[in-house]
Amino acid sequence: MGPVTRRHFLTTTGAGLAGILATRVPPARGQQREISYLCWNNFAPASDKKMAEIGQRFTKDTGIKLKIDHISHMGPQQAKYASEVQTQAGHDLVEMRMHFPWLYEPQLADVSDVVTGLEKQYGKAIASSYEGAHIKGVWRAVPQYHGMFVATYREDLFKKASLKVPDTWEDLYTAGKELKKMGNPVGIPISQNYDSISTAGPVLWSFGGMEVDKDGKTVRINSPATVQTIEWYQKMFRDCMEPEVLSWSDASNNESIQQGKAGWIHNPVSAYIIAKQRKLVTADGINHHRSLGGPQGRHETDTPRHIGIWKFSKNIDASKEWIRYLIGKRENYDEYIMAGDAFNLPVYEKLQDHPVLRTDPKYAALKGEGVQYHTYGWPAPPSDKVQLITNTYLLPNMIAKAVTGTSTKDAIAWAENEMKKILAG
Amino acid sequence: MAVRAEEIRVTGARPGLVARVRALLDREEILGPVFVTPALLLLLLLVAYPFVVALYFSMSNAFIGRPSEFIGFRNFVKLWESDAFRQTFQNAFVFTGIAVVFKVVMGIILALLLNEQLWFKRLIRGVVLLPWVIPTALSTLGWWWMFNSLYSVVNWTGIATGLMDPPGPNWLGQRYYAMAAVITVNIWRGLPFFAITILAGLVAIPKELYEAAEADGAGANARFWHITLPLLKPVLAVVVLFSTIFTFSDFNIVYVLTHGGPINSTHLFATLSRMIGIDTGRIGEGAAISLYLFPLLAFVVWAQLRFVRKQTF
Repeated sequence: MGPVTRRHFLTTTGAGLAGILATRVPPARGQQREISYLCWNNFAPASDKKMAEIGQRFTKDTGIKLKIDHISHMGPQQAKYASEVQTQAGHDLVEMRMHFPWLYEPQLADVSDVVTGLEKQYGKAIASSYEGAHIKGVWRAVPQYHGMFVATYREDLFKKASLKVPDTWEDLYTAGKELKKMGNPVGIPISQNYDSISTAGPVLWSFGGMEVDKDGKTVRINSPATVQTIEWYQKMFRDCMEPEVLSWSDASNNESIQQGKAGWIHNPVSAYIIAKQRKLVTADGINHHRSLGGPQGRHETDTPRHIGIWKFSKNIDASKEWIRYLIGKRENYDEYIMAGDAFNLPVYEKLQDHPVLRTDPKYAALKGEGVQYHTYGWPAPPSDKVQLITNTYLLPNMIAKAVTGTSTKDAIAWAENEMKKILAG
Repeated sequence: MAVRAEEIRVTGARPGLVARVRALLDREEILGPVFVTPALLLLLLLVAYPFVVALYFSMSNAFIGRPSEFIGFRNFVKLWESDAFRQTFQNAFVFTGIAVVFKVVMGIILALLLNEQLWFKRLIRGVVLLPWVIPTALSTLGWWWMFNSLYSVVNWTGIATGLMDPPGPNWLGQRYYAMAAVITVNIWRGLPFFAITILAGLVAIPKELYEAAEADGAGANARFWHITLPLLKPVLAVVVLFSTIFTFSDFNIVYVLTHGGPINSTHLFATLSRMIGIDTGRIGEGAAISLYLFPLLAFVVWAQLRFVRKQTF
C-alpha cells in the first residue's frame, strides 16, 4: 500500500462520516452496546465488589459493556440525579432509595415488564418497594433490595442488668431508664436527619397516628396519637437519653453503640456488621430484635432500593437486560444478597426466608413474617408535597421542639400549620 | 541600493498571512477586544448564563425533570410564609453580622501583631494563612470532630481541666451553641483573609506619618485612631464588602457541621436552598431562596464601592 495522501485521507474519512450520518448506523465496531449504572457506596462494601464481578460476567455472557460508578449516598446522589435529569445526559441506570422514583417519575422509563417477570419468578414485591416504585399503575423502578429498621441493642448489658428485651415502645422506656443509670443510654436521634424520621414514623404509627391521610391531601398530625407520641418522646428524652441526640447525624447512633456508649438504638444491622468487620470489642455483645410495637400494632420503617432507567437513555433494552441478569438470575441475585451480609435483603415474597439470614444467629430478628414495611410519610402516597414534609424534617423538628420546652400543643400546632401550607402550595 | 516603497508594492507579492495578522494586531482597536473576548466569553458562560437561568428558575414553578411555567414573584411571596425560611432569614443576618464584626476586630489585631518585628515573621505569616488555604469542607470536618457529642475534644479538655461539668455543652444540638459553633468556624476560616489584607494596607502606610505623630507626642492609641484606622478605611471597606457577601452565601460550614439544625436554627440561604431545590426537587423555590438577598447585596456592593471610590479619589 502506498503512502496515504492528505487528499485521499480527507476523501475517505469524509465519505465514511457522511455515510454514518445519513444512515444513522454506526460501523460494526461502534455498535457494541455499552451501558452505565450509577449506584451508591453500599454500607456493606463487599456487595459493591460482588456487583462488579457479576457485571464482568454479564459483559462476557451478553457482549454488553457495563460501566458501574459509585457515589456517596444521600446528598451527592440527589445532586447528581438532578444534574443528569436537567442536562438529559449521564448514566443509563440509577440506584434509587425509598421514594425517589416519585420525585423523578416523568424521567423514568416504564419497567413494568421487568418487574412483572420478576414477580412471576419470586412472588410479589414487598409493600415498601411497591410504595416507593409503583407510581400511578406503572413500575418506574425495579425493586432491588431493602434494609429494614430493627432494634440493635447491647445484649450483654441487658443480661447483666437482667433487663427484659423490649417488645413495645413502652417496654423500651422501662429498660431505657435502667440503661441510662448504667451510663448506656438509649440512642434515638431527634435531629435533622433521616434516622430521626425512621424512628419517629414507627412510634407515631404504633400509636395510630399519621402525618397526612392516605388521600395525600388531609393533614392528620393534630391527633391524640401524636400527643401520645410526643409524651413518649418527652419521657424518653428526660429519663432514658442524653441531649446529644438533638445533634446527631445518621451515623451517630451507630457510632454510639459501636464505641460502647449507647445500650439500644433503632437502626438496620449496619452498626453490627461494621463492628464485626472492624473487630470492635462491642461486636460480640450486640444483638438485634424486631422493631417495637404500640397500642395500634407494629410498623417498621423500611429503606427499599430500586433500579431505575432514565427515559433519555439510548440503551433501555440493554439496561433491562442487566437488571434481569442481576436480579432475575437466581444464582446472581443470591450471590449479590449473600455478599451484603444481611444489610441488603431480598425484596420479593418467596425469598424472604433467605439463606443470608442463617449466616449469623444475630440476624434472626430480620425475618420478614408479619412485618408491615413502610416508607416515610405512610399512609400518604409519597407525592412531591409529602416528600417536602419529609425532607424538611417537620416530624423530628416537632418532637425536638416538644422535648426542649415548647408545649406539646404548640409543637403540634406548628407542625400542622407547616404541613397545611405545604399541601396547599 | 535603496528601494522605494511604491516599488515594493508593485513588484513584491501580497504580504503573508502571518504578516497580515501581525499588522492587524498592531492596531489597538483590534488588539484590545481580542484580549478581552476570552474573559468576556468565560464571564458570559460561567457567570451571566447561570445567573439568568437562576433568575428564570426563581420566577417559575420549576421542578427537576418536569416542564415549568413562569409564575412571577409567587415563590418569593410564598417563601415568607414558611417558618423555616423566616428562621433562615434571621440566621443569615445573625451569622453574618457577628462573624464579620469579629473578623474585622480580630483581623486588625492580628495584622498589627504581624506587622511587628517578630522572629520567624515569614513563617508565622504563612501559618496564619493555613485555615484559609485548606479546603473548607475538610477543615470543617475537623471542627465537627471537635464538637461531636461522642468524641468532642473541646468538652473532654473542659471536663478534664474542671472548666466544664460533664457531659459539657451540647455544641451542635442546642440552638445557641450550634450558632456559636458555626460562627466560630467561619471566623477561624475567614480571619486570615482579613489579617493578610489589612496587613498589606498597614505596610503601605508611610512611616513618616508615625514618626511625625510621635514627635508631636501622640501615643500608641492616638496613632492608631488618627493615622492607622483612617488610612486603612479603603482596605477595610473592600474586605468587609467581600466578606459580607461570602459569609451570607456560606454553605460548607453549616452543611457539614449541623445540616441546618437543630430545628433549622443554623440554616443559611445556601443550605436551605439546597435542601428545597435538590433534596425535594423544587428548583424554582430553591433558586428563589438563594436569590432572596440579591437586591440587598447588590445595594451593599454599590454603596461600598461608591465609598471606596470616594476614599481613593
